[in-house]
Amino acid sequence: MSQPRASLLQGTLDLLILKAVSAGELHGLGVSRRIEQITGGTFVVQPGSLFPALHRLEDSGWLTSDWEASENNRRAKYYKLTKRGRRQLGEATEQWNRVALAMSRALET
Amino acid sequence: MLTRFRAIVRNIVRRDRVEQDLDDELRAALDLLIDEHRGKGLSTRDARRAALLQLDGIESLKGQVRDARAGAFLDTLVQDLRYAARLLARNPVFTLTAALSLAMGIGATTTIFTVVNGLLLRSAVGVTDSDRLVDIVRMQRGGGPGIDPFSYPAYLEVRKRATTLDGVYGYQLELQPTSLRVSDVGAERVYAGVVSTNYFQVLGVPAVVGRTFGSSDGEEAGASPIAVLSHRFWMRRFDSDPSIVGRTVYLNGYPLTVVGVARQGFLGMTVVAPDFWIPTSMVAVLNAESGTRLLTAREADWLMLGGRLKAGVPRARASAEIAAIGDALAKEFPVKYDFLPPGLAPTDISFVWSVAAASPVPYGLRVIVAGFLALLMSIVSVVLVIACANLAGVLLARGVVRRREIAVRSAIGAGRARVVRQLLTETILLFALGGAAGLILARAMTSLLVSLLPAFPLPVNVSVPLDPQVVTFSLALSFMAAVFCGLAPALHASRTDVASTLKDDAQAPMDRLRLRNAFVVAQVAFSALLVITAVILGRDVERVTAVDRGFDARHVDLASVNLSMAGYTATTGGLFAHQLVDRVRAIPGVEVATLTDRLPRPGTMMTMGGVTVPGVSPPPGQRYFYPDWNIVDAGYFATLKIPLIAGRDLSDLDRDDAQRVAILGEAAARRFFPGKDAIGQVVHVHTDMRSTSNVPATPLVVVGIARDLTSPRDFQAPLSLYVPLRQKYVAGITILARTTGPSVADEIRAVVTSMNPNLPVLTAQTLESAQTGPVETQLRLAAIIAGSVGVVGVLLAAMGIYGVTAYSVARRTREIGIRLSLGAGRSAVVAMILRQGMTLVGIGLVIGLALGAGVGRLLAAQRFGITAPGAMTFLAATTLFLVVAFIACYAPLRRATRISAMAALRYE
Repeated sequence: MSQPRASLLQGTLDLLILKAVSAGELHGLGVSRRIEQITGGTFVVQPGSLFPALHRLEDSGWLTSDWEASENNRRAKYYKLTKRGRRQLGEATEQWNRVALAMSRALET
Repeated sequence: MLTRFRAIVRNIVRRDRVEQDLDDELRAALDLLIDEHRGKGLSTRDARRAALLQLDGIESLKGQVRDARAGAFLDTLVQDLRYAARLLARNPVFTLTAALSLAMGIGATTTIFTVVNGLLLRSAVGVTDSDRLVDIVRMQRGGGPGIDPFSYPAYLEVRKRATTLDGVYGYQLELQPTSLRVSDVGAERVYAGVVSTNYFQVLGVPAVVGRTFGSSDGEEAGASPIAVLSHRFWMRRFDSDPSIVGRTVYLNGYPLTVVGVARQGFLGMTVVAPDFWIPTSMVAVLNAESGTRLLTAREADWLMLGGRLKAGVPRARASAEIAAIGDALAKEFPVKYDFLPPGLAPTDISFVWSVAAASPVPYGLRVIVAGFLALLMSIVSVVLVIACANLAGVLLARGVVRRREIAVRSAIGAGRARVVRQLLTETILLFALGGAAGLILARAMTSLLVSLLPAFPLPVNVSVPLDPQVVTFSLALSFMAAVFCGLAPALHASRTDVASTLKDDAQAPMDRLRLRNAFVVAQVAFSALLVITAVILGRDVERVTAVDRGFDARHVDLASVNLSMAGYTATTGGLFAHQLVDRVRAIPGVEVATLTDRLPRPGTMMTMGGVTVPGVSPPPGQRYFYPDWNIVDAGYFATLKIPLIAGRDLSDLDRDDAQRVAILGEAAARRFFPGKDAIGQVVHVHTDMRSTSNVPATPLVVVGIARDLTSPRDFQAPLSLYVPLRQKYVAGITILARTTGPSVADEIRAVVTSMNPNLPVLTAQTLESAQTGPVETQLRLAAIIAGSVGVVGVLLAAMGIYGVTAYSVARRTREIGIRLSLGAGRSAVVAMILRQGMTLVGIGLVIGLALGAGVGRLLAAQRFGITAPGAMTFLAATTLFLVVAFIACYAPLRRATRISAMAALRYE
């Protein structure tokens, strides 16, 4: 957590959230931890950005939520990908890869 | 994006559930974090604190989620509206007065716009594809506003030559009263419109029963004796009976077959609405004297033209083509006018032809009508401005009162934009209320306005509906006024310094009060402006219609008939006319009665022939003098109380077989016989003024000299000539009767009907009501509107003054209490507050009077016949305002005197 925090664009955050949830359903805090994990600690998403984003994605129909029992037996709200969300994940990933490829090519020359 | 829409609906409708859910979710997250911290060994309290820190505080987090949610904007809007509605409901007095003053402003403006819409902007009713329809017009070069119709041969040429138009039709603008007889029932008066046979086709007006005119109907004179009824007339007169189609009716005694009824709602293309239409080939039925000449003479201008643009052709191209056709026709067929106005040579007259958008108002008059409506619009806009200023001032005051509430909002995190948006929403709601009330008021005011219009002698087709355009205008106006009015107070109010405001009841910063005072000054100034405008217009209406016209129109009744409608000739008609006037003289209450060909109308003249006087030459360039002719009977001058200054009146001795006589006006007598006594002299009258004529002139012996009528200021006084009806017969006559008591117009009508039931009475009214011409009507209307608007303005200004004085007293209650306890007399306190209020009024008055003087000079320059306001007007306005201001200040002042020092000092 002492690493410099890179700032996240909204679209990038959405993509990370979708990816984090793609493996299995997670509750809010779980999503932020998962993101931290899969990015190797580069991105630590604050609750102030995370929760609004989760709700926005849910309103757009890419995530769906459910109340379930969490670890330590408390109830928590779990999010998982919808079919459309999975499709969106695929498209966004492809687009990201295209952009990344173009950028690295440009920066190499 | 159906999902998103569903989400929005869910977020708003199930708001509570959603909120609860969010609360649960965040609390669950909080609990999780607490557990983790406790697991790491922290105490419960420390664990909780750490967890809250991680989450940035639950409420703040909730706020951020809320803002990101779908439909967040709508959500806050609904919230703001709910709050605003509650606030307004809690202050009913404020809400009512605000909504009322707004309603008046918006209602008045909408009413005038309705008229503008109905007259100038709306498209014709009942036609097909009205935006392709145009008017073909011509204007005289160098001439002023007016109507210039075309001749029938010119119409045929235009129709033949125009390639940009898909059909050219013609119609007669003036409706003539005609006698209609159906089977053996007595004759009634109706109005017939003359139109070309392709009229209905080009306009796309179908028949609802039978057929309309078509290409099979011949155009030569007398070829198609048919008529088409208007739907309105068909309903009213024939009870929508379809069997009238195919029947024969008698128009001025001439048989015509009714072939159909036009579509409902169609009443012609202008403001006058005929009861039915006849084709141009039958025009002789209505005009027995000119007869078929109207179809052949190039100098007889009587048709208005219109057409339909071909698909894809822009109006400008059609206009250019028409202009070219006009120039070509002027060269190929130069028109020889028999009679020219004095001072004009034949080469001076030329026209510019063009094509204009179709509108109920004839092209040449549009500028006048538009100008008049613009005047009315500006007057009512001022009312709206005053109402807005009133409101803005009150809102400003309330903003000050609510500064605590606003400070609290800012403290819990509302950004400035949010606060402003919320305040603005309140204003918009208020204006929406006012606007809706204004629309209802506009409806009522429009009906009132229409009923105030003088009874026109012709059936009129002016509908002023509250159509979507008007509603849109009204709503847009309300919204703009709301934003304009509410923005400044909202910005002001949101600029609260949170800390100091929450600390104590600090005094409001001075600049807010100054702004409020500025609003009051503005209100007083504009109200003063309105009052002065109202006085100017009202005063000049009186002047224009003053008794001092050279004759006395009071207590005179009139009835007019046209003897040709019942088939009278010059001999039989003359006999009938004199029997009629004798019978009228016998009606109880009638002092003296007479006959005339038309009503005295200063500012107009009519000539039936030129006059020469041996030894006296007419003005240079003219062959004759052109006097203003009046055909009258014995007793004319006595009936109208026009003094005869020499000689005698006409009498029964001046019969058709006796010496031809005439009476001259003063100016004519002086002109024709300078230095001599005109009585006994002879003038020569030439009725056929064509240079090729060899009809001899008729000598008339002058038997009397009458006082001239007063002409309007810029009209050159005409030379007046009076000849007896017995010696010059006209079919259209008017009976004038001076009464000692109430109006006998109905009795006169009864006499006519009893003498001949087949002769319809065209008008029967008092002379005074018949005297209103278009200029007077406009002025009267403007005066009524300005007057009522002036009253409204004064009321609003009074409300503003009351408001600011009351507020000032309330604000300075503590100060007043201190002064009183320090020994100041009550009257001194009252004087202090009064001085403040009156200063505002004084400043506003000065500005308003200055504006009024400027407007007055502007109006006078427009030559409506208005003079600039004088000292009396300003004095009256000032006095009025001072009185009103004092009354408005009275209540708050009384309250100020009743403040007890102790209560004031305790006041929080």
